[in-house]
Amino acid sequence: MLINTGVPTREQIERRLPSPERRARGPYAMVECFQEIPCNPCSTSCPFDAILPMGDINEIPMIDHDRCTGCGVCASVCPGLAIFIIDESVGDGTASVTIPYEFRPLPEKGETVRAVNREGCVIGDAIVTRVLLSKKTKTPLVTIRVSDGLVHEVRFFNLIDDKAVSDATSLKRKEEPITVDSACASDDDEIILCRCEGITLRTIRDLIREGYTTVDEIKRISRAGMGACQARTCGPLIAAEIARMTGQPISEIQPSAHRAPVKPMPIEFFLGGDSE
Amino acid sequence: MMYDIDLVVIGGGPAGLMAANTATEAGAEVLLLERDGHLGGQLVKQTHKFFGSEKQHASVRGIDISTMLGDRLDSFGERATVWKNATAIGFYEDGVITVDHDGIYKKVKPKRVVVATGASEKFLSFPNNDLPGIYGAGAVQTMMNVYGIRPGHRVLMIGAGNIGLIVSYQLMQAGVSVAAIVEGLPQIGGYAVHAGKVRRAGVPILTSHTILRADGKESVERATIARIDRTWNAIPGTEKTIECDVICISVGLTPLAELLWQAGCEMRYIPSLGGSVPLRNNCLETTVKGVYVAGDVTGIEEASAAMVEGHLAGLEAAASLGFKGDRYSEERKDCMEQLAALRSGPTAEKIRTGLACAECL
Amino acid sequence: MGDRRITDHPILDFDEGEVIHFTFDGKPMEGREGDTIASALHANGVKVLGYHFKTKRPRGFYCAIGNCSACLMIVNGKSNVRTCTEPLLPGMVVEKQLDRGVPDDV
Repeated sequence: MLINTGVPTREQIERRLPSPERRARGPYAMVECFQEIPCNPCSTSCPFDAILPMGDINEIPMIDHDRCTGCGVCASVCPGLAIFIIDESVGDGTASVTIPYEFRPLPEKGETVRAVNREGCVIGDAIVTRVLLSKKTKTPLVTIRVSDGLVHEVRFFNLIDDKAVSDATSLKRKEEPITVDSACASDDDEIILCRCEGITLRTIRDLIREGYTTVDEIKRISRAGMGACQARTCGPLIAAEIARMTGQPISEIQPSAHRAPVKPMPIEFFLGGDSE
Repeated sequence: MMYDIDLVVIGGGPAGLMAANTATEAGAEVLLLERDGHLGGQLVKQTHKFFGSEKQHASVRGIDISTMLGDRLDSFGERATVWKNATAIGFYEDGVITVDHDGIYKKVKPKRVVVATGASEKFLSFPNNDLPGIYGAGAVQTMMNVYGIRPGHRVLMIGAGNIGLIVSYQLMQAGVSVAAIVEGLPQIGGYAVHAGKVRRAGVPILTSHTILRADGKESVERATIARIDRTWNAIPGTEKTIECDVICISVGLTPLAELLWQAGCEMRYIPSLGGSVPLRNNCLETTVKGVYVAGDVTGIEEASAAMVEGHLAGLEAAASLGFKGDRYSEERKDCMEQLAALRSGPTAEKIRTGLACAECL
Repeated sequence: MGDRRITDHPILDFDEGEVIHFTFDGKPMEGREGDTIASALHANGVKVLGYHFKTKRPRGFYCAIGNCSACLMIVNGKSNVRTCTEPLLPGMVVEKQLDRGVPDDV
């Protein structure tokens, strides 16, 4: 499922494809936006009104493929980088995909790159046929040519010597499962709740067990939340721990009292003051 | 001395800038307090194109929106004063706000206040969670996109909400590899299109997984993660070690509301809004008369909603002082419609439920 | 350690600002105009900004925007400077902080 993996299903993709006749006729926009989110630049930017106006900005974009010319304006404005331009009309066993590519370095026209699918796996080679820069959107559109069987799979590419990206894909396969000593994994002494005062989860838990069950009581007895950040970092964690251990709903745990100043200031600061 | 002014806006991020711009335009004399040395708040590190519609600058990158809003405030000249490096350190019940402005102690007593202080990043508890190299996702974004410095070579991201997904993508844009994105929930919290961008670039998203511990001598060298069951317990035998020199925590934000507590505003803990938020009416005025709120301090949402809230709060605060232009009703209606549209989709369901509890005045 | 600075970015242009010289625990280091103390240290590969006064655990920044105070250091002899937001200036003497900090004129 899309919300578990970030990758649309084959069925979701197929439902978005225009008719075979339209696909054979020339380039078209493939809008891979499957979730209702508040966003409409694709429809307001289309020079041919091919992406239908949205009554509610949460609507999923609907495209009129007879109007769409595959110009790529929507692909370059889409904040989700979820629009691709597909051209299956070449007829020589290849097809092209235009991808919004916001990385450096950019490939050059004619360069061979690795074609990557929606899950980040290399599935073949591709040739870069166009690199279109836009000063306005700063989202380059890179067109690559792949064998036509891959055109509905390929949505990214890796440069052949691109270390940063290839690292990310190859290293994930290097992870070897290991077993951890479980006693050590739950060692409360190594968990710091209040960074400023150096108070561990164990101390907080011991205090709650002893009957200190408000954030303010814990603050007074241990100084947790009294340090330089004034409980900004630890406050929510301590409240959550009290809720968990006492069974009270977290909404009923009062945060510690907030008093001025919100950050520690030297006494001399208050003696100063401006006399403009 | 005590500074007297119509309106003080606390915070120069998307909400505060919009509030200051709107109120100044309406005719109020405005003082904007910004803790940092520059305006824009967290917009200054948002290199991605924004969602929403044209009115919230959709498809424009956050960094460019920041410049646009700041330039507009500049264009008002003396009618809008900006104090940079100015932290509001206290908000007293008599309405006095104390400020650390470049190390000088100042007191301000405005007729109205818009609090737009934003949010801070939540922290997570696991062994060695304080090792250097464990950073908030926003911190990593600041290092990369503001200062141009890579946080490390290989990052493990904790949290697959929009921030976790966007920062992972931006790390790759900066040439840093992302080992994996770990998410405790069984599903990805952020937009599917953001998830799609990182997946195709080769980053696995491991849902129903958590971080068990971090290890390293002086700083992070590796993390151990595991699959978890429905009760959030690690499943034995599923542990994996991930070599990384940075662990990025992106488990949500919490409203930065200290000043509102100090001012005596009635607050309510609303989990879906990120923590304790002020109760307010549909003009964004809190239970303390004259104190308005906008942006993440009202509950965690996208920056597009923060801008519209800032617009509304600035408009209402100015109107309550008698600065009510011909277009007041029209603008108010427009803000309400924009907010309703931004919050109407299924991805905003939790926000809608939360807001129903907070907007009760 | 120069590889920590981003030179080629698809969206952003980073100007090569003027070099700023400073010292960290006595060692000469270089930062760039526009850096904060913490960003300059990070560019030099320094992640440990001090040791906690009580637990003695190594300490690095967490939020980088002035909220969490995990980045406090001694700068020009002054303790508790928030290095994640404090601009780097030429000649700064930056040191790890190991205690709660002491007033400057003690």
